[in-house]
Amino acid sequence: MEKARPLWANPLQFVFACISYAVGLGNVWRFPYLCQMYGGGSFLVPYVIMLIVEGMPLLYLELAVGQRMRQGSIGAWRTISPYLGGVGLASVVVSFFLSTYYNIINAWAFWYLFHSFQEPLPWAVCPLNDNRTGYDEECEKASSTQYFWYRKTLNISPSIQDSGRVQWEPALCLILAWLVVYLCILRGTETTGKVVYFTALLPYCVLIVYLVRGLTLHGAINGLVYMFTPKLEQLANPKAWINAATQIFFSLGLGFGSLIAFASYNEPSNNCQKHAVIVSLINSSTSIFASIVTFSIYGFKATFNYESCLDKVILLLTNSFDLEDGFLTASNLEQVKGYLASAFPDKYSEVLPQMKNCSLQSELATAVQGTGLSFIVYTEAIKNMEVSQLWSVLYFFMLLMLGIGSMLGNTAAILTPLTDSKVISSHLPKEAISGLVCLVNCVIGLVFTMESGNYWFDIFNDYAATLSLLLIVLVETVAVCYVYGLRRFEGDLKAMTGCTLSWYWKAMWAGVSPLLIVSLFLFYLSDYILTGTLQYQAWDAAQGQLVTKDYPPYALAVIGLLVAASIMCIPLVALGTFVRRCLKRGDTPPVA
Amino acid sequence: ISHVLLCNVTQRVSFWFVVTDPSKNHTLPAVEIQSAIRMNRNRINNAFFLNDQTLEFLKIPSTLAPPTDPSVPIWIIIFSVIFCIVIVAVMLLILSGIRQRRRKSKGPSEVDDTEDKCENMITIENGIACDPLDTKGGHINDAFMTEDERLTPL
Repeated sequence: MEKARPLWANPLQFVFACISYAVGLGNVWRFPYLCQMYGGGSFLVPYVIMLIVEGMPLLYLELAVGQRMRQGSIGAWRTISPYLGGVGLASVVVSFFLSTYYNIINAWAFWYLFHSFQEPLPWAVCPLNDNRTGYDEECEKASSTQYFWYRKTLNISPSIQDSGRVQWEPALCLILAWLVVYLCILRGTETTGKVVYFTALLPYCVLIVYLVRGLTLHGAINGLVYMFTPKLEQLANPKAWINAATQIFFSLGLGFGSLIAFASYNEPSNNCQKHAVIVSLINSSTSIFASIVTFSIYGFKATFNYESCLDKVILLLTNSFDLEDGFLTASNLEQVKGYLASAFPDKYSEVLPQMKNCSLQSELATAVQGTGLSFIVYTEAIKNMEVSQLWSVLYFFMLLMLGIGSMLGNTAAILTPLTDSKVISSHLPKEAISGLVCLVNCVIGLVFTMESGNYWFDIFNDYAATLSLLLIVLVETVAVCYVYGLRRFEGDLKAMTGCTLSWYWKAMWAGVSPLLIVSLFLFYLSDYILTGTLQYQAWDAAQGQLVTKDYPPYALAVIGLLVAASIMCIPLVALGTFVRRCLKRGDTPPVA
Repeated sequence: ISHVLLCNVTQRVSFWFVVTDPSKNHTLPAVEIQSAIRMNRNRINNAFFLNDQTLEFLKIPSTLAPPTDPSVPIWIIIFSVIFCIVIVAVMLLILSGIRQRRRKSKGPSEVDDTEDKCENMITIENGIACDPLDTKGGHINDAFMTEDERLTPL
């Protein structure tokens, strides 16, 4: 090696970098949803099992490869076998797709953060209609938080075909988001190493504050009880196990090349086994911790909505039947309703259609995941808290930290192979390479600020990384165990770190984990094939709710391209290397 | 106008009313009354110590108060502040990087190229400003120790 590789200043920076990369938005907005859908407390059983069987071994494998090869993903896999450089390239392509669409979430978080400094919060009240006698129609049909998200933030179009213009407000926030990311990765591990202290630790501080606040909210206990009541019959549902495996897999960020990039900046003697176990445990416990916070907030919101609904019914009945004020309360509502139905049947049947059926269970059962959870449901809960500006600022600041932490890993996965390659790094300094990558991603990301941007975001979110990653990690595991040789790798690790590889890791790497990944891959493939045409949720402004529509053919083509672009790298590069070798062997005559 | 007659009084404090004009001895048309009430809603509310939510005039929808709209939206102010801070920080980092690189290229060229680069890489990466070490011929402590570490890994 000609020049020394930049290193992390201390192992703690490496651990924090891995934590801040792995602990991302998925822990906050996907795990609580899965927990709710697949049996509450009993979902933890498949989750923990998958963590031990799949998460820890694969994480250890990636960190060990990175630390051993001391290069980014392309170089590392090329060293393992010249035909497998395509695996690294596929990782870079997937990371590129991810960083293109992931930063728009940070842009949205910035938008909400900047709007949190107002009294009242802009998503708490509906705007007025033209003659100022009532509220805006779309806002009336939906809710004020949904209106703010779909109309004011996204200005969403009715379908993916209506592209609309680039919205300048989200575009500005996106540019700011990319500038912040550039600031953090500008000088490589030197700046990244300092930033990860913040991006790893600050979200925990906010989560703890929110935990205390959440648990003291009125009605929080309803949400917690609802979530943690184990529904043991879900254990028999194969979807629960598959989703647990998928969540562990994607939550740790395996296969993107970021972990390899981070580990390549380690001292060779670093004990990455210990770090792998620590990072995976922290990642999972953060998921559980975040879901406790989320469900106490859910409980508060559901209880609040339930009580407002009851109040509206009480007001309606009091007005229609000229009852005394304060006569009707939540406790005697059912009795009085029965009495009124029998005493004044015609008037009651007139009023009946206007009366909403209030149910706490149905409020709790609205399971949401993804951007809807953070930007619609949480904001609805926050607007009802006291000093809502403070809670809003804290929450979106935490989202920002989580998002930027993950972005650091994504960009590291792209930049490390680029700075490793002698061709590029001899012509351009590190700052220019980072700047170029950020600029290209920012320009492409402007697509997501158009009026139909959110639909394209969903396409990227659902399809850009899922199948490709499973295949990439499968090839990685098979490559290390069978192409490079498990015994040879074991010897390398022992020489490097001094600790022997226990039988558990060997069994997992060689047998269990590849089988698991193959089954996941087959399941997803069959799922896509069986569902036939793919559909998406579009916002209908006239009705004020989401409707399901089919993707147009060009969107399906884009989906196919996304998946193919990364997967095809593996066989194409292998073929290219093979052809190049054949040609070289053909040129130089073999020595006798 | 002073004669207000009530009729159809119900239990829940609601009533119909008409306003008569004593001089002309007829009731004033509803449309005039409605527009008068609409203009003076505030005064009528205050007279009863009630507000738009508690005192309702049927068929007269109350005009809602629009939310306060400052001339410059607040979010743009905060956005510009953060934007400027980030741009300044980026500029500072880039400029300091360029300055360090220029100082490195002006350094003594007789020193071994690779060792110089590594020692500079290491000194920069560790955040230790060891530029004076460049100008000296010998390399003490930091460079020696890191070189040692490279040669004898654990």
